[in-house]
Amino acid sequence: MERLDLLSAWQIRAGIEAGDFSATEVAQASLATIREREPRIQAFLQVCDDLALKAAAATDARRAAGQKLGSLAGVPVAFKDNMHLVGSRTTCASKMLENYESPFTATCVRRMLDAGATPVGKTNMDEFAFGSSTESSAFFPTHNPWDANRVPGGSSGGSAAAVAAGEVAIALGSDTGGSIRQPAAFCGVVGLKPTYGSVSRYGVVAFGSSLDQVGPFGRSVADVALAMDALVAGGRDRLDSTSQNVDVGFANCLEDPVEGMRVGVIPSLMEHKGLSAEIKEGLEAARKALKGQGVRIVEVGLPNMDSAIAAYYAIGPCEAFSNLARFDGVRFGYQEPSCETLAQQTAFSRAHGFGAEAKRRQLLGAYLLASGVYDKYYYPAQQVRTLITSDYAAAFKRCDALLLPAAPTTAWQFGHMSDPTQMYASDLFTISNNIAGNGGVCVPAGLGSSSGMPVAVQLQGPPFEDKKLLQVARAVERGIAHAGLFEPNTVAPSFVERGGDGA
Amino acid sequence: MPLSKEDVRTIAEYARIVLTEQELDEMTTYMNDAVRMLQPLREYDLAGVEPTFHPIGNLSNVMTDDKVDANGRALHIDEALKNAASTRDRAFRVPSILGEEGGDR
Repeated sequence: MERLDLLSAWQIRAGIEAGDFSATEVAQASLATIREREPRIQAFLQVCDDLALKAAAATDARRAAGQKLGSLAGVPVAFKDNMHLVGSRTTCASKMLENYESPFTATCVRRMLDAGATPVGKTNMDEFAFGSSTESSAFFPTHNPWDANRVPGGSSGGSAAAVAAGEVAIALGSDTGGSIRQPAAFCGVVGLKPTYGSVSRYGVVAFGSSLDQVGPFGRSVADVALAMDALVAGGRDRLDSTSQNVDVGFANCLEDPVEGMRVGVIPSLMEHKGLSAEIKEGLEAARKALKGQGVRIVEVGLPNMDSAIAAYYAIGPCEAFSNLARFDGVRFGYQEPSCETLAQQTAFSRAHGFGAEAKRRQLLGAYLLASGVYDKYYYPAQQVRTLITSDYAAAFKRCDALLLPAAPTTAWQFGHMSDPTQMYASDLFTISNNIAGNGGVCVPAGLGSSSGMPVAVQLQGPPFEDKKLLQVARAVERGIAHAGLFEPNTVAPSFVERGGDGA
Repeated sequence: MPLSKEDVRTIAEYARIVLTEQELDEMTTYMNDAVRMLQPLREYDLAGVEPTFHPIGNLSNVMTDDKVDANGRALHIDEALKNAASTRDRAFRVPSILGEEGGDR
């Protein structure tokens, strides 16, 4: 049989439809690949063999009965472990929720399943999504499939690594300040944060309610587009008040020519002192790739972007503190035994259930929302948010998308980033579009000349123009492949060379 | 003025998270570092700038009829209780709310 672990979601769907292989064979191959590669990657907190095989059998039965197959029929998909899926735990990689059984299924998960996807498991993450390396998981770190000594990025590091290692074709993540795009960049896969409101967050454990957005990872722009169509196909979700109607059609405009489009670059960002030479080379390659297809590069400014970190680290912790107040050890979550009063039980349950970073963010939020402090940071942060949003609006009058770095460097080594606020600063290129709400996507642009690790570029688009954003992302992917720098559907090389026995 | 360890102790009490003395020391360093990161916000002249609390401006609450939606969001009681560490009959079980000191502060 073909190496199923190397197939794209599109190829899997087509192969099942044609009868080249069954959904059950694909599910078994994915589960075998996971068993073989997990000791080195540790992308999964939970592998759901039963759910996977049951869903695959249902897909095979549909085909046998001559029924129409969904757009993701038989495609193995992994979900970040902050997404509820009945039949699985939802731990948020926290001791707080170590034994928490999903009482219902999140809308984003439901829609992937409705499209025929095979759910294979729940992926590792930074605890409650607080982090940029997946090292704050309460259970274990995830390793970068390209180099096991390096982090996969975060917070959706498990989802990115599972896709990069060929364990699944598609995974879902959530992005509050870059948590889809940065791990995608570190692991050499495509990751999209759609415009805020595009994908329902019902059933996704909340971190920053005005910032969080769910989106897909894939090894190609086409697979990401396929997943987006499944995620928006049901229309507005009445269970999430921020959910908006978004038309399907992500997948069928990818090959439309980009000739005549304008892509903006921000010269001042290129001068940023932390930006590595490898990332600059990647941006140059992407710029050439776009120019080669008739895209005009224009210079634009986002003058308030330097303050985005400050705005984000005021808004994010405040929203996190509000959201995580629900973890009181009563209705769910870790409960401290033998406490005499409820207040004591709450304070000790939270002390022993949350890890260090979750405590830090909540205390920061608690402080910033305090009377007398609110007016110094939180309120001005929301005013700066207005300025950042206006900057984007002005920039998008002059261009169709922005080209910028995904992260200042390629994936760093474990332990390299030990200071929390130093790690916060590494989010500078991704957080501004969580603040403004528009979409962003990271696409591989080659391998770093000194690190050998995947280098990515980021594209950002106007709000609710994520189809055009993916069209430009596809143009970058196409041009980068044409230049011989990085092929779509690439699985991390150590697995291509040595792995695959399980498949 | 930087936050003192005692300030951080008060914040931790408010946030209902018990911290050890060592955690309080580390948290005090962290809080001051983090607040320093936020200083650019204080250097702006923001007079007349409206805040944006939410990226989608025109949202309003979604109201539904005040009826049990058995096919929708309503969890069966067993489902609702199954993740609780301590229950009795149809209820979550908690320790004394008032306590011997007479107050749940």
